[in-house]
Amino acid sequence: MGHLFGKDYSMDHLLEVAKSIALAVHKTPQITGKTHIETEIIWGDELDPILAVMEPMALMFRFVHWDYETIKTCRERGESPVIVAIGGKADRSDLAYNCGACGFDTCKEFNAYAKDQGSGGGQLGGPSCNWKSLEYSMAADWACTAAWHANVENRIMTSLGIALNMLGYMPDCNSKLGLVLGPPREMVYYSRDDVRKIMSYELDKLDMIRCIPWQFEGFPGGGNPMYKIKDDWWAPPDFMNVGYSEMAMDGMQKILFEIVPEIVDKYSGAVAERYQKAQKTKKK
Amino acid sequence: MKKYVEDLDFRGEEHISEWTPWSPQDIRRKKCALEAARLMMNSALTAPCSGAAPQIEGHIVYGQEELEAIARKIEEIAHKNPNWKEPFLYEAVMARDSDVILFIGNTRCHQTPLDGGCGLCGGTLDCGYFYNKKKHKLGLVDNTDRSSTRMIDGPLCTSRVNDLGFAVASALWTARTVLVDSRPFASMGIAGQKLGYCPNSGMVVGVPVATKSKNAYVDVNVDYHLINMERALDNARKIYQTTRIIRGFDYRKWIPKPK
Repeated sequence: MGHLFGKDYSMDHLLEVAKSIALAVHKTPQITGKTHIETEIIWGDELDPILAVMEPMALMFRFVHWDYETIKTCRERGESPVIVAIGGKADRSDLAYNCGACGFDTCKEFNAYAKDQGSGGGQLGGPSCNWKSLEYSMAADWACTAAWHANVENRIMTSLGIALNMLGYMPDCNSKLGLVLGPPREMVYYSRDDVRKIMSYELDKLDMIRCIPWQFEGFPGGGNPMYKIKDDWWAPPDFMNVGYSEMAMDGMQKILFEIVPEIVDKYSGAVAERYQKAQKTKKK
Repeated sequence: MKKYVEDLDFRGEEHISEWTPWSPQDIRRKKCALEAARLMMNSALTAPCSGAAPQIEGHIVYGQEELEAIARKIEEIAHKNPNWKEPFLYEAVMARDSDVILFIGNTRCHQTPLDGGCGLCGGTLDCGYFYNKKKHKLGLVDNTDRSSTRMIDGPLCTSRVNDLGFAVASALWTARTVLVDSRPFASMGIAGQKLGYCPNSGMVVGVPVATKSKNAYVDVNVDYHLINMERALDNARKIYQTTRIIRGFDYRKWIPKPK
């Protein structure tokens, strides 16, 4: 006998779906059969450090902004999503393909560069052997497809990957992505309804002007075209100005190298401790 | 009206079998595999990718001569790298054993990178690793010099390579869904690219499809390039014929019976 109500059991079941997705990730076919793949399932309060890292980055990157707002809003509404974290180790090559895809003639040269450069560089954790990175992304794709087949609202997010990387999740991996699952309704992560409070006509228009300027370009014959960014665009006209932006670069510097590291410092110890504990248990 | 009459006449029969190879019934079977490969290509095209930028192209190849050419190219490449030799020779057999080979390539990874400063290619905070190793002007990559002797003319935008991975994996998922046998191969991808398939791509993966009783891509024996179904059948023809000619008798007059 029993009676399950509404969305409560759906939210609980997300975890079970996440486990099935993790199984699919590890079942993904590989070309080399040598790429190390990991999965972790993160939910509840464990999302808070991830959101804390995403918050300042949202000021810098629009794609992080949208992801952050959506996950945060769901969480605040009591529909906290579940994240399947997918990691891969692609920063060394044991393939000896010497194929040149990485830009070096041999895997040995690539490995020497990677050792010198250090792992987990950049936002997404390069350098990478392209065959291994390809296999890692295949695993990430199977995670998405498994979620799709389970009819669970989902989206794979680079923004989550960056946050996982910064906080030190999956320390044996250099490439990381996060697949966010639930809540159980449509259009949470595509045509997002929850970004209404941060979205405005003006902001969208500004993005359009910055990202696809040719859409607004006037007659180019004079060599310095006017831009039609208001109804009476000719009076007075606007012109494109391309140059170094101290404001943008200073902002990025401050966020990436001051604000985010402070947040990471606050949480990364606890994350690392968890892996150390797991390691000890494994040894026993 | 004509269509309606045709619909009324919807009847027929198709004998389908994997034996004998390249017979009408085997070719009908291969056509089913071709349909699966086409569905797989659809899945490759709808796979997630960074920035939703169109960047995936495919080439579906089938036919005895076409698959033989691919297998021979793989064999040629196999002998260029001692680390490739044995696995690639095995995979050449698999190419011959396939019904269809789907090539999936990324048209942007070598030419129009993501430009996102993600660091996946070289571990830096910008795209300098890629551009410093490429001929380019103002970030516009000049790929007109195709004389590189490397198997793949890197460096590549690894974010785009990841998008290729998404496409390949989605194709493979569809293969699993429609229960055709398939696996991804570097050997077939490199050989296909050298033969001119996926002509606009910087990196190509070969995804062969087969619908035979035994999966063509697993459970191989040692020296698979020397001991495989094609060789075994050919050997049967050789041995059996010889066995016959050395002990002939006139069956019309007398057939030996067990004592």
